[in-house]
Amino acid sequence: MRAIESGVAGIGAYVPDQRIPASALREGWGQFLARGISTKAVPAPDEDAVTMGYEASIRALAAADVDGSEVERLLFASTTLPVAEEDLTARLGAMLSVPETAIRSTVTGSTAAGVQCLVEGACSSGRTLVVASDCPYGAPDDAIEHAAGAGAAAFVLEPDAPLTVMDIAEYALPYPGTRFRNKGSETVDSLSITSYERESLKRALSGAASQLDYDTNKVAAAAVHAPDAAIPYRGSEPLGVDNETVAAAMIVDEIGDAGTAGVGLALASAVADGADSVLVAGYGSGATAALLCLESAADQAPPVELTIEGRRRLSFAEYVRLRGEVTSGAPEGGGGYVSVPTWQRSLAQRYRLEAGRCPTCKELNFPPTGVCSACGTSVEYEPVELKRSGTLEALSVISQGGAPPEFAELQTKYGGAYATGIVAFDGPEGGSASAPAFVLDAEPDDLAVGDRVEATIRRIYTQEGVTRYGFKVAPVEEANER
Amino acid sequence: MRDAYLIGAAQTDFGAFPKESYRSLFRQAYEAAVETVPGGIEPEDVDEAYVGMLSIGGRQIGLSAPAVAEHAGLSNIPCTRLENACAASGYAIRDAVQAVKSGMADIVVAGGTEVMNDVSSETLPYWLGVSGEMEWERMAGTTFAGVYAQIASAHMAEYGTTREQLSHVAVKSHQHGAMNPHAQLGFECSLEDAENAQIVADPLTLYHCCPTTDGAAVTIVASEDVVEEYTDEPIRIVGAGAASDGVGLFQRDSYTNLPAARAAADRAYEMADVGPNDIDFAEVHDCFSIAEIMAYEDLQFCEPGEGGRLAEEGKTALGGQIPVNTSGGLKSKGHPIGATGAGQAVEIFKQLRGEAGERQVEGAKRGLAHNVGGSGGAVSVHIFEGPEVDT
Repeated sequence: MRAIESGVAGIGAYVPDQRIPASALREGWGQFLARGISTKAVPAPDEDAVTMGYEASIRALAAADVDGSEVERLLFASTTLPVAEEDLTARLGAMLSVPETAIRSTVTGSTAAGVQCLVEGACSSGRTLVVASDCPYGAPDDAIEHAAGAGAAAFVLEPDAPLTVMDIAEYALPYPGTRFRNKGSETVDSLSITSYERESLKRALSGAASQLDYDTNKVAAAAVHAPDAAIPYRGSEPLGVDNETVAAAMIVDEIGDAGTAGVGLALASAVADGADSVLVAGYGSGATAALLCLESAADQAPPVELTIEGRRRLSFAEYVRLRGEVTSGAPEGGGGYVSVPTWQRSLAQRYRLEAGRCPTCKELNFPPTGVCSACGTSVEYEPVELKRSGTLEALSVISQGGAPPEFAELQTKYGGAYATGIVAFDGPEGGSASAPAFVLDAEPDDLAVGDRVEATIRRIYTQEGVTRYGFKVAPVEEANER
Repeated sequence: MRDAYLIGAAQTDFGAFPKESYRSLFRQAYEAAVETVPGGIEPEDVDEAYVGMLSIGGRQIGLSAPAVAEHAGLSNIPCTRLENACAASGYAIRDAVQAVKSGMADIVVAGGTEVMNDVSSETLPYWLGVSGEMEWERMAGTTFAGVYAQIASAHMAEYGTTREQLSHVAVKSHQHGAMNPHAQLGFECSLEDAENAQIVADPLTLYHCCPTTDGAAVTIVASEDVVEEYTDEPIRIVGAGAASDGVGLFQRDSYTNLPAARAAADRAYEMADVGPNDIDFAEVHDCFSIAEIMAYEDLQFCEPGEGGRLAEEGKTALGGQIPVNTSGGLKSKGHPIGATGAGQAVEIFKQLRGEAGERQVEGAKRGLAHNVGGSGGAVSVHIFEGPEVDT
C-alpha cells in the first residue's frame, strides 16, 4: 500500500470553443451513433494535445496560485500525442516555465493514463502538475468518431491541499480488443462486442473498488470513464454508487469523448459545482482501472478555473473541413525556412514572450537580439517576460493569394481567411514591445486596430516532420465591445 | 567627384513570356538600351556591370551576373549581382553612379532581370515572401500582401485613409499604363473594378496589388569625361540617396511610413540641392497602392497623412501638380522584381528626352525614382535632370 502524500491544490480545464451539435452530425451522416452526446468539442486546426494541455495547465497553476517554476514533477497523460517518439514534457514544461530539473514523465496508450498520473501525483511529496489532454479520432462514420471530442484537465497536487486524496487503487486484468489503436493508425477501433466490453469495464472497476476504503453513501459525484454518455452509468454498479451520483459529474454529453482527459474534466466540473466528495474512476481498455477517492475539508473547496463553454457552433461542412477529411494537405513548393536549431534558440520568445530590457536605456526589445532598437547600443539584455496581454497595432485578414504556402492548409481549415497583425505586448512595468502574431478569431472581419488581445500557444506549422509551437493571440472580447 | 550621366536606358515588354529566360530578357533590354545611345556602345566600351535579380524560383542564384552579362556579349568585365529584394536594380544604378564618380569606371551597365511566371502556383508564394522577415513576420502568416495590408490598416487608423483612396491610386496607374506599350496590364480600370475586386489581404483587393512579371531593364551610366562621345542629350544623375531599416515591419519606429524612404529621399535632395517642389514627376514603388500613398508622404510631396487625398484629388495624375508613375507603375506596367528599379529609370529617361509619347509630362526637367526593397528594409532614391536644366 503506497502512502498518500498530496492532495489537489488547483484545477484547470480547457475545452476548445467550437462545438458541433449531434443534430448536425446526424444530418450529415444520416445517422448518429454516439449515445447521449448532444454536442461535442472540435479542436481548432492548430490545436493538439500539447496546446490544450498548455491551456489547462496555465489555468490550474493560476487557480493554485503557483508559478510554473515551482513545479517539481510534470506528468503528461494523452492517448493522442502528436508524436510517437520525443518527450513532449520538455516542450510543455518550457511553455509553462517548469524547471529543467523537474521530474517528468509521459503516460500514453490508455484512457486510464490521466487518472494513473493523478494517483502518481497523490503519492508524491513534492508539487506535481498532472496534465491530461486528448483529442481522439475514429473512422469517419463510426460511433467512436461521432463521439470524439477534445479537451484537457490539469491538476496541481501538493501536501496539505484543500482537496484531500483519501484513498487510491489500481487494478488490471487482460481484456484485449475492447478499444484499441494499432501501430501506425490515427483512429481508435473497437470490436464492439457489447457484453464483453461491459464485462471488462465491470471487472476492472469492481476489482479496484474492492481495494478502496470509502463510504459509497458519502460520494457526492462519481467522475467515471466516459467515451460516450451511456458508458459512465455502467460504472454505477461496480463502484457502488447510484446513477444520480454519476450524473453529478457528467460533462461528456456536452464535450464528447475527451479520451484520457474525460475523467479529469468530469472531476473539474463536479468540483466547480460544489461536490465535496468525488470518486474518480479511470478506465483503459486492456483493461486497467485507477480510482481515487477525494474529499474537500469543510469550507475548503480547491480553486478551479474552467474554460469549457462552447460559444461557436459548427456546421457539418465546417466540421468535415476541420477534421481534415477533405483538405489536400500542405502544397509542395516549399515554405519559408527557419531551421530547427534557429527555431529552438527562440523558444523563450515563442513560448513565454521573453523580451530583453536594455540596461542602458531601459527599452524593451523583442526578440532580444542585436543592438538595442532605441539607443543602438550593443548590450547584454536583461530577460523580461512580457505580459500575455497586448493591443493590435496593425492588422490584415489574409484571403486567397495572400498566404505563404506553409499556411495554405491552415487557411483552408480556417475557412479561407485568417487574421494576422502586429501586437504591442504589455511590459511587466509599463512600456510595450511589438511582435507579429497570428490572430485567432472565428470572425476575423470584426477585428480592428486597437483591439485588446491575449496570447496563447498553438501549432505554427510542421516542417521536416517537426512541429513548431509558438504564441498566437486571440481577442479579449469583453475588452473590445464596440 | 565626377558627375555621372544616364546616356541610355530601355526595357523589354513587361508581362509573361514563356519563351524567354532571365538571360534572353536581359540581352534584349541591353541591346535596346544600346540603341538609345546616339553614339552607340560597343561591348569593349563597358567597364563594369551591375545586375539586379532576386532569382525568383531559385534559378542561378550563384554567379547570376556573369551568366547574364556573358549572354549579352559583355565578357570579361567585372559584373556583380545586386540583391536588395525589389530595390535590387535601384541599387545597381547606385553602384554604377559610385563606380563612375570614384573614377574606377567610365561606362557602367546597370540593370535587372527577373522571370516570375514559369514557377508553379504552389512555389511562387514562397518566393514572393522570401524577402520578408523570416523568423517572426512570416511565421505569423504573412507574405508582402499581408504586411502592406497591415501598413494600410495602421495608416487608416492613424490618418483616416480610405480604401477608396487606395483604389484611386490603382485607377490612375492603369490610366497611365494604358498609354505605355511596354505595360503588362495596359488597360484602364474603374473605381468600381478596384473596389469590388477579390480581397487578397484585407483591406487590399487584387487591384491594390501589383502583378507577377517577367522582364528586364537596362541603363547605361557614363562619366562626365566621356559623356560627350556618346550623346548630346545627357541626363545628369544629380541625387543618389539610399537607406535601410529593420526587415520586419514590427522592428520599425513607424508602421505608417517607411523611415528608410524618408532618409533616402533627404539624402538625394541634399546631394541634388533641390527640394520636393523642384521635382516635375516621379516614378515611385507602388507594389501595393498603400505604398504609393506612403511614397507621396516620404518624398514630401505632401504632409504625412495627406497622401490618400493627393491621389483622390488627381494631383498625381498626368496633368496634375506632380505626375507620379506615368509609366503605369508597378501596378500596371508590372513588377519584375530585379528589373523594377532600372525600369523606373527607363521611364525617367524617356520623359526627360521628351520621348514619352501621349503620356509625356509637359516641360519635364527633373524626375525622381523611388525604389523600395521588401516593405522598406532597403530604399534607393535617384534624382535625374534633363539636358535643358542649366547646370
